[in-house]
Amino acid sequence: MTKYILKRLLHGIFSIVIVILIVMMLIFGLMNRQLIFAQDPVFNKMTGNQETVYKYNRWKEYGYLDYVPYAEYLQSLLDEGKIDENTHKKAVKIGANPKKDSELAKQYIDEFTKLYESKGFKVIRIDAPDTGRRIQRSGNAILFATRDKPLFHRLYTYFARLISIDNIHYAKEDIEDRGLTFTWHDPYYQDGRFAPAVMGNGTQYKYLLYVNNEFPYIHQNLITINLGRSFVVNRGVDVFTTMTKSQGTLAPRTVTYPTGLTERSADDLHSATYQPRSREASRINVERFDDDYTVVNTFKAGKSKLGYSFIIGIIATAIAYGLGIPIGIAMARHKDGLFDKISTVYIVFIIAVPSLAYIFLFKALGGKLLKLPTTFDMDSDNLKMYFLPIISLALPSIANLMKWTRRYMIDQMNSDYVKFARAEGFSESQIFRKHVLKNAIIPITHGIPGSILFAMTGAIITERVYVVPGAGNLLTTAINAYDNYVIVGVTLFYATLSVVSLIMGDILMSLVDPRITYTKKAR
Amino acid sequence: MSEMKKNKLVDLTDTGFTEEELFSHVDHSVFISEKITAPRYSYWHSVFRVFFKRKLNIVILFLLAVIIVFTYVYPALTHYDPYEYLMDPTNKHLSPADAMEKNGRELKWILGSGGAGESTFDAVWNGARISISLALICAAINMTIGIIIGAIWGFSKRVDVFMLEVYNIIGNVPYILFISVLIMILTASFWTMVLAMTLTGWLFIAYFIRTQVIIIRDREYNMASRCLGTSTFKIAMKNILPFMTSVIVTLLATEIPSYISYEVFLAYIGMGLQELSLGRLIYQAEPAMVTPGWEFEFWSPVAISAIITVVLFVAGQNLGDASDPRTHM
Repeated sequence: MTKYILKRLLHGIFSIVIVILIVMMLIFGLMNRQLIFAQDPVFNKMTGNQETVYKYNRWKEYGYLDYVPYAEYLQSLLDEGKIDENTHKKAVKIGANPKKDSELAKQYIDEFTKLYESKGFKVIRIDAPDTGRRIQRSGNAILFATRDKPLFHRLYTYFARLISIDNIHYAKEDIEDRGLTFTWHDPYYQDGRFAPAVMGNGTQYKYLLYVNNEFPYIHQNLITINLGRSFVVNRGVDVFTTMTKSQGTLAPRTVTYPTGLTERSADDLHSATYQPRSREASRINVERFDDDYTVVNTFKAGKSKLGYSFIIGIIATAIAYGLGIPIGIAMARHKDGLFDKISTVYIVFIIAVPSLAYIFLFKALGGKLLKLPTTFDMDSDNLKMYFLPIISLALPSIANLMKWTRRYMIDQMNSDYVKFARAEGFSESQIFRKHVLKNAIIPITHGIPGSILFAMTGAIITERVYVVPGAGNLLTTAINAYDNYVIVGVTLFYATLSVVSLIMGDILMSLVDPRITYTKKAR
Repeated sequence: MSEMKKNKLVDLTDTGFTEEELFSHVDHSVFISEKITAPRYSYWHSVFRVFFKRKLNIVILFLLAVIIVFTYVYPALTHYDPYEYLMDPTNKHLSPADAMEKNGRELKWILGSGGAGESTFDAVWNGARISISLALICAAINMTIGIIIGAIWGFSKRVDVFMLEVYNIIGNVPYILFISVLIMILTASFWTMVLAMTLTGWLFIAYFIRTQVIIIRDREYNMASRCLGTSTFKIAMKNILPFMTSVIVTLLATEIPSYISYEVFLAYIGMGLQELSLGRLIYQAEPAMVTPGWEFEFWSPVAISAIITVVLFVAGQNLGDASDPRTHM
């Protein structure tokens, strides 16, 4: 069994990699890369060569291409000691056009061109705009080498960066006593209460492992998942953080900083990360911190995107299984009766009518007749606002479960063992409960892990209609904003969930039905 | 012989006839012995007999006819122009009653007017024409490719291994991603949408057909047929395809409405057609839903799209039921 699961997992990982490859091919190869700047305010203010430089820098940053400016090449020569300061100073100045270059610059430009063209780069030179003596805002002449990142290289770097483990060599600067310390009494709590924590010096995070009174009580910063950095949706922030970070208004509380300063603030000191020389830069940091772990997240009043989606999704799933299966059973039990017919009309309604139409219908009915809140408000404590999104998600799943439970039950009812049980004199309800139901429920169990896991992804339409700040809209927002690594990250998240839920479904099915085994021997 | 009573043995010599007079020799007829005494069975004849036996189906067919007339004949007769009343500010956002009072009691004002002063009724049917055409074309392409590939997929074990892998991978790439990338490369036109919906859409139909083929493939009658030397192609066409007619019709019944729904969904999230399809109408009229007095603009396309999909679905389902030979008894 373990061997089988391992094999399935490996197979799943293989398909996930191929999925990411396809997605990367689609978005990096086929989509117009100029479009990522469509909503970039910095870019829109720039013109001419300055714009080009900014563009290439961003493309490099977001993994589209390799980009080496001429100045960077000369700097590397200087660092390696191949040229001296003086030569560097002279060579780095390039003319407004190739004719105005100095002899020395010409020589190094030739070397630069030769070196990078041999590596498959394209060397581009754009002259300064020639409009007489006036200094142009659009910048100087530029010279750089660039090439598109090969697809497999991009894929490799993506997966290599996916999981990063914090270590004590993270900080490049000189730090005294690098290392990890374990303490039973977390200094975060000033009263010296019992709270074990692992703290690092030289690491990215100050607290690598700590406990607090929020679910799931034990928290870690040791392993970070980098699904992909956002460019537009949540600039500079990783998708995983975007999905898991709490949202809403700041929730200040009394915080005691490491220096002993006590203030009302929303700073979460447990999330402190290293920022080199940050205390030299700001006096506030000096007042608050006694080391360079000064960058902190803030406590927010709301839940994370995943949190909202999961709460709504999991309650809807629970309702769907709690109602859908019993109704399906009742339909099969009284096949062709009035109840069966009415329920079938409902199923047809849900399948045939566009989901948008009935979600709007629920919204209008719920808002008008039941006076329920129709929009979601993160800062409100009103639990009623969860009602309509949950109902809108649950009703279609109920119909789906009704349909399949009825189908499987009726299929089982025609089988020979039911006739035999009837011949033996079992009562109809006994046959139903002990024989038919047990067999019919097996295929239904296969979908349970999937429904639970996919509750996290959120629902696109429901969240849009009720303005839920959930994870469902992340993919469509990213696509609309051309935020490519967000697209890749969300796809990876979906694909992983789908692979895991299929495997878990198979395992659950074999637990429910001992006849199903995945080992060859048992067959 | 009139005095003879039924069920009473009669001595033949008492009748006074000779044996030659009583009996005549009947020849064995090759032609008549081949005749089957069961009632004549014609497949399609039975399909329609079963289909029309239910009263509901006649109503559904009538509604379907009405929908087809309004989607294809009505726009052709009225030449809908969304900007016809653009310059008339008094014609915008009218309720049905106001619109009819202003423009006369005509069919086109029965649902009031929209934000550009256009007739909502005309706009909805023009949108329905685009949406239904899209659904029909996509369904035709996807079903054809899906059935052919699904049949091959179900028959060949080597193809099965390969295609299952493809299916698992493509199934995990978000469908909206394919569509949005294609729309970005090309433009959001009708044919781009057809291309986007059919690029991978056939795969799911092919998978469904593959499962059905595998179920039927190894039944005894097919085994017998194979032993008798029937070619695989003939088994597929003559033994399996007829079995699948009802499955295919049922599938078609769920596919066509699902394309309409999907188009509405895409338009709502802002990735739909540029043309004023049903989805785009709903998307544009969404603010009107909460504006008192404008509700008709929003609910009309929603209701009409719901009616169209339900009618198409029920008609297809019932035709699928009727095309199952087991219901013909």
